[in-house]
Amino acid sequence: MAREKTVEHYDVVIIGGGPAGLSAGIYTGRARLKTLLIEKALVGGLATYTNEIANYPGFPDEPKGETITNLMKQQAKNLGVEFKLTAVKSVDLTGEEKIVETFRNKYIAKTVIIATGGRPRVTGGIDEENYLFDKGISFCATCDAAANTDKHVVVIGSGDAAIEEGMFLTKFASKVTVSVMHDEGIMDCNEIAKNAALSNPKMAFVWNSVVHAFEGEEHLERVVLKNVKTDELIPVSCDNCFEFIGYIPNTELFEGQVTLTNRKYIPVDDKKQTNIDGVFAIGDVTDKWLKQIATAVGDGAIAGTAAEKYIAESEIFEEKIMQKEKVGLIYLYNAIDQDSREFLSHVEKIENQFGSELVVNRVDVYKSTGIADRLKVESFPAVIITKEGKIATTLYELNDMQITEAVKGHM
Amino acid sequence: MKEVVLDCFGEACPVPLVKAQNKLAELEVGDVLIVQIDHSCAMKNLPEWATKDGHNVEVEEVDDGEWEVIIEKTK
Repeated sequence: MAREKTVEHYDVVIIGGGPAGLSAGIYTGRARLKTLLIEKALVGGLATYTNEIANYPGFPDEPKGETITNLMKQQAKNLGVEFKLTAVKSVDLTGEEKIVETFRNKYIAKTVIIATGGRPRVTGGIDEENYLFDKGISFCATCDAAANTDKHVVVIGSGDAAIEEGMFLTKFASKVTVSVMHDEGIMDCNEIAKNAALSNPKMAFVWNSVVHAFEGEEHLERVVLKNVKTDELIPVSCDNCFEFIGYIPNTELFEGQVTLTNRKYIPVDDKKQTNIDGVFAIGDVTDKWLKQIATAVGDGAIAGTAAEKYIAESEIFEEKIMQKEKVGLIYLYNAIDQDSREFLSHVEKIENQFGSELVVNRVDVYKSTGIADRLKVESFPAVIITKEGKIATTLYELNDMQITEAVKGHM
Repeated sequence: MKEVVLDCFGEACPVPLVKAQNKLAELEVGDVLIVQIDHSCAMKNLPEWATKDGHNVEVEEVDDGEWEVIIEKTK
């Protein structure tokens, strides 16, 4: 009874419409690539939950997160990016053609950019959902600390993030109460942070405690902690609560295809590429040090540009370098190496010798090793002879005779 | 497996949501309901409700400030 899905082709499919995905779209759109951005909820991502963004450069008036991301969306639209507001149901990224399916469409793309972000892990305390984000429960001290000047805040958790962010909060807040699950003196963070926290006069600890409930009219007023040993309820009046009990990246869709870290983040290289060629990952879903709008848009710029290069290289690779009609000679060299540069004249001689029988391609690997990577060549210079679009011989020595013989052998 | 179009142009929240909920209740599993809206609040609460209820949802911006919320009944 499955409905026939509409099949559509794109150069780039971006999954996730937060700042990272929008930025990637701006770059691929501007490179005139046919781009689709799929977002399952609101375009703008987690940034739209923030009421004031004070640290994104260029916006001195602390706009709402939505204001910034709406501008990004407009910019992407102006550059021709198409938007689809629905959830991705499944992906198959392993082939040359990447397949992304929603419940009504099947998209076939040359490249896929994963920008699915993540979600903070929550305590599961009673009525927690009523106070999330701008109503009293925050997940980011870097974002919200300054708004807590001279206030009393509660921090949940005792890992590195909780204690380090908690200490950062003491620079603003009058008091920071930390709820720790463990016995007195035991924390999950490193020893240095622990000792600094214990001797910080603004920090107080409630040991053996977890969150039972959140209370307050409209805005959070009280966190009710529970002693895990005695079940005693401990109401703590406060202005805001920060939860630092982990972050869950949205990578469920990609498990088994894209390599993930043990914490389920996607590791990427300096071009934001994952373990799969043509599949990039950016923003909070990646294994990165700082999760901010400013770093997300930087990731997007890199991946958008890398996707464009990947597609251009794919086309050159298939149509020119791996042409099937004639025997081919590919000279891979690094232009800053003098010997390799001088050998170019020898390559020309060989080219002239065979005339129109041989197709010669010279590939400078100085700027990008993309084509060399596809040929699985890691050391340069190298000469590859192809026949019927397949690698026939690979030579690492710059020897005219040897190369000429190899070419003849495949004629 | 039929497709039903529900015209909610010009109607403010929560009218589109209530209308959609009533209409979807009449439909069979596998049927698709297309709700046409032009109030941005319905663009939030309609998909939110339908997703929470476990149906397949897609929002299409058909024109500036006009959307179609496409809901496939799954149960």
